[in-house]
Amino acid sequence: MVAYLSAIGIVALIYALLALGLNLQFGLTRLVNFGVVAFFALGAYTSGLLSLQGVPLAACFVAAALLSALLALPIGLLSLRLRDDYLAIVTLGFSEAVRITIQQEEWLTKGVQGLPGLPRLFAGWGSPAADLAIFALLAAVVALVVAGTVRLARSPFGRLLRAIGDDEAALSALGKDPAWFKVQIFMLGAALFGLAGAFYAHFITFITPDQFIPLVTFYVWMGLVMGGTGSVRGALLGSVLLMVFLEGSRFVKDWVPGVSEVGMASLRLAAVGLALILVTLYRPHGIFGGRQP
Amino acid sequence: MQRRNFVKLAAGAAAVQGFPAIGFAQQGDAFRIGALTPITGAGSPYGPGMQQAIRLAVDEINAAGGAGGRKLELFTEDSQTKPDAAVLAAKKLIEVNKVQAVLGTWASGVSLAVLPLTEAAGIIEMNVSGAPTISTLDTKDLVWRFQATNDRFGAAFAEICAKRGFKRPATMAFNNASGLGNVEGFTRVWTQRGGKVAAHVTYEPNRPSYRSELQKILAAKPDVIVMGSYLPDTTIILREWFQSGAENKWIIPGWAANPDLVKALGAEVCEGIISVDTVSNEKSASFAHFDAAYTKATGKPASTNVYAAMAYDMVVSLGLAMELAGPGASVAQVNAKLRDVANPPGTAVFTFAEGKALLAKKGKVNYEGASGKLDFDKYGDVTPDFGVYVIEKGQLVRRDVVSI
Amino acid sequence: MTWIDLANLLVNGLMEGLVVALPALAMTLVMGVNRFPQAATGDFMTLGAYAAVGCQVLLAMPLWAAALAGAVATAAVSALSYQLIFRKLAGRPMVASMLAAIGLGFLLRSLIAFFAGHDQRTFDMPLVRAWNWGGLRVLPTDLVIAGIALACLLAVFVLLYRTSFGRQLRAVADSADLARASGIRARGLMLALWLLVGAIAAIGGVLLGMKAVVMPEMGWEFLIPAFAAMVLGGIGSPVGAVLGALLLCVAQELSVPLFGPSYKLVLSFAVLALVLLLRPAGIMGRIQLVR
Repeated sequence: MVAYLSAIGIVALIYALLALGLNLQFGLTRLVNFGVVAFFALGAYTSGLLSLQGVPLAACFVAAALLSALLALPIGLLSLRLRDDYLAIVTLGFSEAVRITIQQEEWLTKGVQGLPGLPRLFAGWGSPAADLAIFALLAAVVALVVAGTVRLARSPFGRLLRAIGDDEAALSALGKDPAWFKVQIFMLGAALFGLAGAFYAHFITFITPDQFIPLVTFYVWMGLVMGGTGSVRGALLGSVLLMVFLEGSRFVKDWVPGVSEVGMASLRLAAVGLALILVTLYRPHGIFGGRQP
Repeated sequence: MQRRNFVKLAAGAAAVQGFPAIGFAQQGDAFRIGALTPITGAGSPYGPGMQQAIRLAVDEINAAGGAGGRKLELFTEDSQTKPDAAVLAAKKLIEVNKVQAVLGTWASGVSLAVLPLTEAAGIIEMNVSGAPTISTLDTKDLVWRFQATNDRFGAAFAEICAKRGFKRPATMAFNNASGLGNVEGFTRVWTQRGGKVAAHVTYEPNRPSYRSELQKILAAKPDVIVMGSYLPDTTIILREWFQSGAENKWIIPGWAANPDLVKALGAEVCEGIISVDTVSNEKSASFAHFDAAYTKATGKPASTNVYAAMAYDMVVSLGLAMELAGPGASVAQVNAKLRDVANPPGTAVFTFAEGKALLAKKGKVNYEGASGKLDFDKYGDVTPDFGVYVIEKGQLVRRDVVSI
Repeated sequence: MTWIDLANLLVNGLMEGLVVALPALAMTLVMGVNRFPQAATGDFMTLGAYAAVGCQVLLAMPLWAAALAGAVATAAVSALSYQLIFRKLAGRPMVASMLAAIGLGFLLRSLIAFFAGHDQRTFDMPLVRAWNWGGLRVLPTDLVIAGIALACLLAVFVLLYRTSFGRQLRAVADSADLARASGIRARGLMLALWLLVGAIAAIGGVLLGMKAVVMPEMGWEFLIPAFAAMVLGGIGSPVGAVLGALLLCVAQELSVPLFGPSYKLVLSFAVLALVLLLRPAGIMGRIQLVR
């Protein structure tokens, strides 16, 4: 039982890490990133491939975060030249391009066959001790990120960032250059995505390109929007709600007889879509309040 | 503060979800089986039927007095045909329901993700996946595969090709593990026999047209095109092929070249297509026995879902192994008996009741299942026969059976 | 790679381009007037195709009538979505409309899958052999599809450039305030626009279904190519959207001998990024600001 609960907690925390990264990018600097899953994938594959070569896991995780941040640099620079909607579609296209490249370059990534047998964290500890340990580690990481984000928001740097989001023209008029700051935040967010990807890869122990589809990006967006963008508490709450929703549907059949299971997956997706529409329309501040998207 | 709230919330939410499951997990003398089939997702045409077949077998065994002095208890979960969802489902089955066997994983990705969990827990896993890697990852011999590997399928294609006298095959593969696996298996065996593959193309899913890919293949003037494909892409490719006027033959896997293909394209386009699939033991008593029960339970004949028969066989072979291992046997002991009840030598039996009776008399059984003769090799993979069907006037007619 | 092979690739590209032109046109119209990327356009295509299949199968209508019925149904859904969702988001930042559009796309796609199932559907059409001129192959079905696409495009252009409706639409696209000041009633105009856009997308979906198969995912796959075509041709320019679609699809086909078929989508993305960086106005664009 403990192992199962830890497993759910682990997945929720992975989503939380993603949401916190997106919260940095969109909540603080208004950068619309529809390509979250690209960096998630990159982190997962970087860590996975390195670990299969025998590199110690801690180093793999660091590499995952660093490489994702590095890949975010050109995209971040691109974001300086692009308006919201263009950036959104370009990042969406980028995430598909990354997925297809991972899929095709099988000499490196084993392509569609995927990478099975990835080592787990705390491998020797046995269940449920290992699962609890992973949960604790992730929780610590999330706590660190939360603390860091809150401090960032309250610092002069952070206040500058919030100003960028509100009125970039005014800022330029004041002689401050927001460009490089924006790129740095973008890279920081991407590093978090990459780290989340590494945790994911070593938890599921088997990754294939088709696990990294745009739907994942929109799950994160949904969690963030529901929880309230620009609010750390909101990002966390949003991921928990998301997790309850995604795992909870497994138990619907136990409570509500007669619901066709085959239709469940379609209804789940329909609910995601409907939630996105409704929250955008009627609760632009999300559930916790924050700035409206 | 925020984190504490969050952790409380997460734990609370998760615990609430856990409640119904706790109610079901009973302690006691039952042998607990977890059915992890694709109720939703890409495998959804097969998952519900597989789950139903497992349930049928469990009920049948319990009605016959149980196996090895124990009743069977069934827990079902949906793998959603996705590795990450399957991992959580498997964890629930293993940790919460405390199952001693996980049966019915369909997609290779799901089986590959679930394997490490069942192995770590020391329990039996039975699947119908195609990826060859599953055999190599199974280090403790706890994993049993009731479907031919992708590789074997390809080898069967090569055998059929040779038998029918084709000289210049070309290959087209859907860009995923199964499609590529089929085609690579074919190419390996074909080149080993000294043949050459005239051309090959790997194509992407969900495209509206495959004209350029088809063009490349037809330029090499093959006499037969061997496919590792699925229904939608096969439909598009065949339609474009027919309209191009080329004259070659086709060898296509049975899940793509089936009555739905004929329905989509018409009899003229499909005339002469060679469709290959593992042959359920259709003439055998075990299939008839299963078919009757399945049709009664689902309203559809067993031939519509080849994986359902495999799932049924999983439970029956497990039951017979439990019977042979005797009362109070551990999972490892039951596992060790699986080959003894399914492989030759032994008297052929076709139902659980038959097998149980023979075992009571200390006889040696060889269960011939509804899905095939179920002879497991050293990896725990079955070595089925392949049926060669030809589409004639819109009907699939079995013309040959190939063993490899 | 002979000239004939190249010519065949060119023909393939043109045919596919004509099908992509329709959703690209739909997107550019909405983009020009409402100023956000209508990310549910692909799923409107899917809806149109399924509605047409439904009419053919359940009501035994001939293909042309079923297609029209599909267009009408989708037009209605499109106008409804404007009325209920996008009109209310008009004053808000663009991200809101985009997210809502993505959500709408998911909703449509999954409802279709829920009711119609995931199995493929095909249109009831006669199969005819290709015309073969020394290796250059042209499918009569493709010509029919091309013809319908061209007719549709022509009708839209006539509507846009020869009617008062079109004039008003272009005025609103240029400047909404000025248009309002000169008395153009935006509300009815918008509804008419969204009806039109839905119909165009639906026809595109039917044509796609004729070429391939009808499945719940079919339209979503076209989102990025359609957007790339729109950007390539210049946002807000209907002619640009069509030209962009043709160019992009031909380029995709011609890239196959070089990079293989799997990288086609990556090419769309690369084109998109390059155009936005180097010449944001696109080929025929009028909207200069990308920032």
